[in-house]
Amino acid sequence: MKKGIMNNTRPLICKIVDKWEECDDTFGFVLELPIKIQKAKPGQFIMLWIPGVDEYPVGIAGIKNGFIEIGVAKMGVGTSAMIDKQKGDFVGIRGFFGKPFKPPKNVNHLLIGGGFGMTPLKLLTSSLINFEEMQRVHIFEGARSKNKLMYLEWLENLENQEEIFFHVSTDDGSYGYKGFPTVDLEKFLQNNKTPSVIYAAGPERMMKVIFDLGKKYSNVIDMQMSLADRYIRCGFGLCAGCVVDPTGWRICTDGPIFNTEQLEQITDFGNFRRTETGAKEKI
Amino acid sequence: MSLETNLGDIKLKNPLILASGILGASYSSLQRMYDAGMGAVVTKSIGKNPRSGSPNPTIFALVEIKSIVSSVGLANPGYKTFKEDLVKLTEKQTPAIVSIFGETKEDIGEIIEGLNDLPLLAFELNLGYSKENPKTVQEKVGIIKQITNKPLWVKLTPDECNVIKIAEAAVNCGCNALVAINKVKAMVIDIKTKQPVLGAKKGGISGSVLKPIGVRCVYDLYEHFGDKIPIIGVGGISKGEDVIEYLLAGASAVQIGSAVGVAYPENMVRFIQMGIRKYLREQNIENLDEIIGGAFK
Ligand SMILES: Cc1cc2nc3c(=O)[nH]c(=O)nc-3n(C[C@H](O)[C@H](O)[C@H](O)COP(=O)(O)OP(=O)(O)OC[C@H]3O[C@@H](n4cnc5c(N)ncnc54)[C@H](O)[C@@H]3O)c2cc1C
Ligand SMILES: Cc1cc2nc3c(=O)[nH]c(=O)nc-3n(C[C@H](O)[C@H](O)[C@H](O)COP(=O)(O)O)c2cc1C
Repeated sequence: MKKGIMNNTRPLICKIVDKWEECDDTFGFVLELPIKIQKAKPGQFIMLWIPGVDEYPVGIAGIKNGFIEIGVAKMGVGTSAMIDKQKGDFVGIRGFFGKPFKPPKNVNHLLIGGGFGMTPLKLLTSSLINFEEMQRVHIFEGARSKNKLMYLEWLENLENQEEIFFHVSTDDGSYGYKGFPTVDLEKFLQNNKTPSVIYAAGPERMMKVIFDLGKKYSNVIDMQMSLADRYIRCGFGLCAGCVVDPTGWRICTDGPIFNTEQLEQITDFGNFRRTETGAKEKI
Repeated sequence: MSLETNLGDIKLKNPLILASGILGASYSSLQRMYDAGMGAVVTKSIGKNPRSGSPNPTIFALVEIKSIVSSVGLANPGYKTFKEDLVKLTEKQTPAIVSIFGETKEDIGEIIEGLNDLPLLAFELNLGYSKENPKTVQEKVGIIKQITNKPLWVKLTPDECNVIKIAEAAVNCGCNALVAINKVKAMVIDIKTKQPVLGAKKGGISGSVLKPIGVRCVYDLYEHFGDKIPIIGVGGISKGEDVIEYLLAGASAVQIGSAVGVAYPENMVRFIQMGIRKYLREQNIENLDEIIGGAFK
């Protein structure tokens, strides 16, 4: 294996070196990579292998000096098995897969998400902070209630820095604005006319709402969205189980991040996905 | 110079066919591969009922030997649901072959009947997954030929101990082309966690390691059948030279799987075609007929 590069090959076995409860039913993990890998780009994902149980895609929340941070939200057997793991246990990863977010220079960066969608947005935030031509970064996070908000403390601490703004909302009003994060986003777009790019990651139905909203504002020059509501099998574009119609693009290699121009062409966006069998179902 | 090739009555604009199970899950990915320059496309294997397939991991690469280990467990939506994709695909006149599998001849008959009204190029019978012998093959091929006038290709697996006997049974019952080969049995065990990596534990291997095995199988078939039946070579093709090698062994066309399962499949198809053209130019060959079975001359 070449130094510094993660090859697409069998799962690379990593040791869990840190684990914490991020919020309700969601845990953060740091994995120690057996080789020194330089970096992953925000928006890319890995296939996480819980030996003997399951393998599934998870986003990358952070990467530094041979350590990778992920966040796992409890869904079913596979994610529960990861949450049951402890420091010192081993899991496998394959990756890094997918096309990343591509932030342009000299714009407002508007990040909006919820649930495990916050993991790629965390890495994107970290990288925007180091981005030379960084303009303002606005992060809109939404969740059902306060105990479902990921990275709350981290984001609130960031807000003390200049040019970073954190807008938080909950459906039940237990923290921040009461309502959907899209309400805050729309208010922002109404009052702010500088060129902006929206980056979204979360449930696809929510992203469709954001997409339709963004199209109404001419200062939104691009929208980049992570389509993660799809079953992923191989992760590197071979099986095409995650394909979207009618373009034939694969979420795992042509995505998961798609821009406005691409999203316009994907009629499945916000409407349909394929299940494990390959049958289409309504999202 | 022409890349056209014939498989019995079927004429293809070039000898490259997308292999079953790779990028074959939806009409849109199949269409994409045809638009990328494939001569025809084969769907993933479709059965009677929907199947979720094996638990993940189902597919991963072994980069050091440019190969893929997999066990998808025939995940498919069932022929009734998949028909919607096939309608969309054939509306555009895309030359499509539907790969089918079935435990019994009754299941197979039902699938063929259900899809027979579509303007498909051919059916491909995947024999790779149930224990076959010449008798079961005869029954399956027989029932398909009773129901449909469409060409039938039979795909062989090298794991069967007597490939020639199986092939003979298929040819005697009227199959129109032989496809060789499917994956070879394989598995990988992680030594740190002491676990088989595939969710299904056991699977098969495809990609570069398969090429000499596939070439040998095609050579054996051509030696046995000669021009009696067209052969389609599959296994480990990732460049123009590999295609030429299969043609020399006796294949009239080839299928490509693992090599196009990459980030930019369009580039891969172009690269393979360029390699074929380069060879033909250098060897002063006008059309592919001149080299098919060339290793026997
Ligand atoms: C690109 C991408 C990035 C993701 N990032 C994260 C992340 O950072 N953190 C996180 O917690 N989750 C993430 N997910 C979702 C995560 O993969 C699923 O929650 C997980 O697979 C559920 O597995 P399970 O066995 O616990 O649940 P199951 O009970 O098996 O399934 C629950 C739900 O998860 C979906 N699912 C199951 N297997 C897969 C699979 N192989 N691929 C995609 N969806 C699947 C099912 O369709 C179902 O809707 C991401 C998904 C994608 C596609
Ligand atoms: C992930 C995967 C799934 C496959 N699924 C099928 C299938 O459904 N039906 C079939 O006949 N062959 C299937 N195959 C076998 C291929 O069609 C082909 O015969 C084999 O991979 C060798 O060709 P290659 O080396 O070019 O990949 C599959 C192969 C792979 C890697």
